[in-house]
Amino acid sequence: MSASREDNISQPQLSAHVFDELLDSIITDVASECHRVAKLGLDRNLEEEEEELRLSAQARATVADPSNSSETNGKYVVDIFGQTHPPVATEIFECMNCGRSIMAGRFAPHLEKCMGKGRKARLKATRSSTAQNRYTRGSSASTYSPYSTPTSTSRLPNGSSGVSGHEYSNGSLEDL
Amino acid sequence: MSKSNHLIQPESENPQIENRAPENGSPDVYTATTGGGACEHLSELLSRVGSNPFRNFPDCVKVRPLGRASIRRDPPQLFVRCGVCRQAPHRLYTCVTCAAVFCHVHVASHPADVDVDDSDRSLHYIAVDVDRAELFCCGCRDQVYDRDFDAAVVLAQTEAAVIGSMQETPLLPVESTRKRRRVEYKPWTPDVNEQVLIVGNSNPFPSQMSNDSASPEVQWGLRGLNNLGNTCFMNSVLQALLHTPPLRNYFLSDKHNRYFCQRKNSTIVTRSSDNTNKNPVLCLACDLDAMFSAVFSGNQTPISPAKFLYSWWKHASNLASYEQQDAHEFFISVLDGIHETMQNDKGKGPSPGSGDCCIAHRVFSGILRSDVMCTACGFTSTTYDPCIDISLDLELSQGTSAKVTSKKSHKSHKKKEAEPRKSSQNGRLSTLMGCLDHFTRPEKLGSDQKFFCQHCQVRQESLKQMSIRKLPLVSCFHIKRFEHSVIKKMSRKVDHYLQFPFSLDMSPYLSSSILRSRFGNRIFSFEGDEQDTSCESSSEFELFAVITHTGKLDAGHYVTYLRLSNQWYKCDDAWITQVSENIVRAAQGYMMFYVQKMLYYKASEKKVS
Repeated sequence: MSASREDNISQPQLSAHVFDELLDSIITDVASECHRVAKLGLDRNLEEEEEELRLSAQARATVADPSNSSETNGKYVVDIFGQTHPPVATEIFECMNCGRSIMAGRFAPHLEKCMGKGRKARLKATRSSTAQNRYTRGSSASTYSPYSTPTSTSRLPNGSSGVSGHEYSNGSLEDL
Repeated sequence: MSKSNHLIQPESENPQIENRAPENGSPDVYTATTGGGACEHLSELLSRVGSNPFRNFPDCVKVRPLGRASIRRDPPQLFVRCGVCRQAPHRLYTCVTCAAVFCHVHVASHPADVDVDDSDRSLHYIAVDVDRAELFCCGCRDQVYDRDFDAAVVLAQTEAAVIGSMQETPLLPVESTRKRRRVEYKPWTPDVNEQVLIVGNSNPFPSQMSNDSASPEVQWGLRGLNNLGNTCFMNSVLQALLHTPPLRNYFLSDKHNRYFCQRKNSTIVTRSSDNTNKNPVLCLACDLDAMFSAVFSGNQTPISPAKFLYSWWKHASNLASYEQQDAHEFFISVLDGIHETMQNDKGKGPSPGSGDCCIAHRVFSGILRSDVMCTACGFTSTTYDPCIDISLDLELSQGTSAKVTSKKSHKSHKKKEAEPRKSSQNGRLSTLMGCLDHFTRPEKLGSDQKFFCQHCQVRQESLKQMSIRKLPLVSCFHIKRFEHSVIKKMSRKVDHYLQFPFSLDMSPYLSSSILRSRFGNRIFSFEGDEQDTSCESSSEFELFAVITHTGKLDAGHYVTYLRLSNQWYKCDDAWITQVSENIVRAAQGYMMFYVQKMLYYKASEKKVS
């Protein structure tokens, strides 16, 4: 610190001076780093990044503008092959579990009961089974992601699997 | 620094060393290496002092924990001040030749004022920033850079780091001889003659699709998927997988033939706990193979992926329910299912992360590097973990320097300024690269998470930093839009818009880049620089699929946007429609799929009749 005449400088002035020096030092650190990055061309993709941002902003403005033709929504549109489809799929096929003929749009709820899975079926089952079974099902939630990212510290609470089988489900929360 | 220790060692001053032949022949080698870093004064100085002028420099460098380099003072308490004004402001420089010290105000006049013969004046143009170990040119009044100087600094830094480091390979600087295990990638497009040759000798696919004249150029492999009852989460992921280039190529090349699959021939007890009987074998890879065959058959009527749903529920019985599931969970589960079934085929699998165990990992698996650094001594503990995707926190407060934040949707102006979550309130745009910056930032671990430092032998506060050691062929980014708080007993969806690029360069997030920046971005290669391919384009990615979620947490809908031949298609269950890229850019991305640019086929703009 340049304090060659410290006897004549008051305490507040000295503190201010020290603070200024520290601040200048930090600013110079940042400037030096940025200068190095720029000079050595380490930020070569800045232009492409800015172009992407520009296109993105432009796209959002275009989409938000009500005068532009809106995105084809709903289930009554014509697809690229010129076909239309009913809102609920009407194809009929055989259930691979029980053999009955099921309509496509109702297949999942059927299969759920058919296989004995799902909340209602499971609740029915767990009432009659031991608590052991329930534990097994709950813990198996963690096994399907053996290579989960190790960022456990920066994840949101319950971001990792294994707390509940429906962490992200769009159904209502289920407490095991 | 003591006055007797010159920072730069011209050969003429050390006659005993001079007997050694100059390492690379001519001194000019050093001037050409930095490519923008050196100036004429520096070049002149280097040409005068000969080879390896900074060989003693590491001794002059003092390294603080976490790599910050400065010039060592000898003795350490030595009070250094400018030779002209006797002040010691925040920036001090010392001449590399005569070690005289100046402040930033007076350093520029040193070459003119120094008491030497005019012929030697050129030796005094370069100085070193005492606190930052950076070269400064008095003539250009600007910071300059030199490869050998950086090498010397890095040497000092790595020596300091190695003392306590217990990494499997010491972090020594390595000359940048990239391993050329494979042939170097050379981009190529056919010239006119070659195009004629290609077109003349090939038969395009029978164009049954263009029977209907309304759709002139429909892409191969587009086919709707029926919603079987809240299964849009499955349909959206399937569409993305069906158009993941390496995965598609694998299955379409008949690499996993469902008719010959070994698993068909044996019966295995499934994982579900309530099935005590032996069931016919289920192989998710076979079911996926069936999906590929169906989707690329040319048939246009939507498929009902019932068998796939059934197989998947068999595999992941805990997720088997009629309720809407999370698409990301399904994605992880399917990859795991494929891994499981294919792993058994080959017997003992190789180490995870190498990606050789199954096609799912071959395509999606990368390696993450995690460094935990002791803030007291700088000791770093490094671990590597494989990962099949990267889940990113949606950072709301990040921003970019670009001037893009002005064009927000009209809605935000009309609504009252009460809602804290609107992006326009923060005035900052969230971007995918911003999320990746956040992901790879040095994170100060809380004082309750002190890390046991092997060097200090005590728990210390530490910094943790993630980086990507090896990039996968396909990078899947999952944005954490669903917050589930057990404490608050509530779930929430974050609707905040996230900008994502169509072309993405992942090099700033590689371990080599992160390490380099940790050591001050010095011009040198680090141990982490080895990559699978020797060319830079292996870190360039192209977007090919986006899965979006619209609606509320408990009543929402997944849709996939696919990019084929630079045309975007919206896959909404059974409905495939063509959309403009603006729709995609403005969409609320939940999962984004990027493939390495080398593996991405862009349709040629030119058409040869």
